[in-house]
Amino acid sequence: MTHVKILLFATLRERIGGAKFIELTLPDGATIQALKAQIAREYPALEQNMKSVLTTINREYAFDEAVVPDGAELAMFPPVSGG
Amino acid sequence: MRPTDYPTIFRITEEELDLDALLDAITLPSTGAAAIFTGMVRGVTTRGDAHETVYLEYEAYKPMAESKMKQVADEIRERWPTIEGIAVVQRIGRLYPRTPTVLIAVTSAHRDTGVFDAARYGIDRLKEIVPVWKKEVDPNGEEWIEGDYIPKAGE
Repeated sequence: MTHVKILLFATLRERIGGAKFIELTLPDGATIQALKAQIAREYPALEQNMKSVLTTINREYAFDEAVVPDGAELAMFPPVSGG
Repeated sequence: MRPTDYPTIFRITEEELDLDALLDAITLPSTGAAAIFTGMVRGVTTRGDAHETVYLEYEAYKPMAESKMKQVADEIRERWPTIEGIAVVQRIGRLYPRTPTVLIAVTSAHRDTGVFDAARYGIDRLKEIVPVWKKEVDPNGEEWIEGDYIPKAGE
């Protein structure tokens, strides 16, 4: 099993009461797509967000087919709006 | 100064932006031109959905944001090799109207070496790939502003 901690920002963080991260246990070899599906199941408040969320692995953008590495730094957030 | 030693500043900060100090930090004996873009909180919006803003609350995924700001600076140097100093700074926290929130500044030997385009590219790119978000608070409530850019692989 792969244990991951996912940092949350902006809307996502507020949706689950301000927690800065969530932790999940995934089957080894799980992809980002599978991770999103699992989050939608375990955190219904985030289900809507999973459709448009951006995901990063070790501070680089990652996409649905990417495999989640054990011990990686993951983050999820809406499209950015700095400036 | 060798190009590898040109000053590059990339920073997320909660401190007030000191525009003079940032410009000074990227001014070299060889530079004679700078283009500076700065954005500030707009209190009154008339274009599109007209409304007033009480304040904006900014947050960042700081380590990734600073690494992506460095990437923006690297992309500027790749496109405009004549650029010498670069500063990319985003302020976060609660910021009220008229307050500068972001600064992109570039320096080079002369004004016709791409400084205007490089500064424009810098702010456009920051708004695409640097993980910073803002929540707008207006007299009727609050709302997270979301961008519309989806980064591609390798960005």
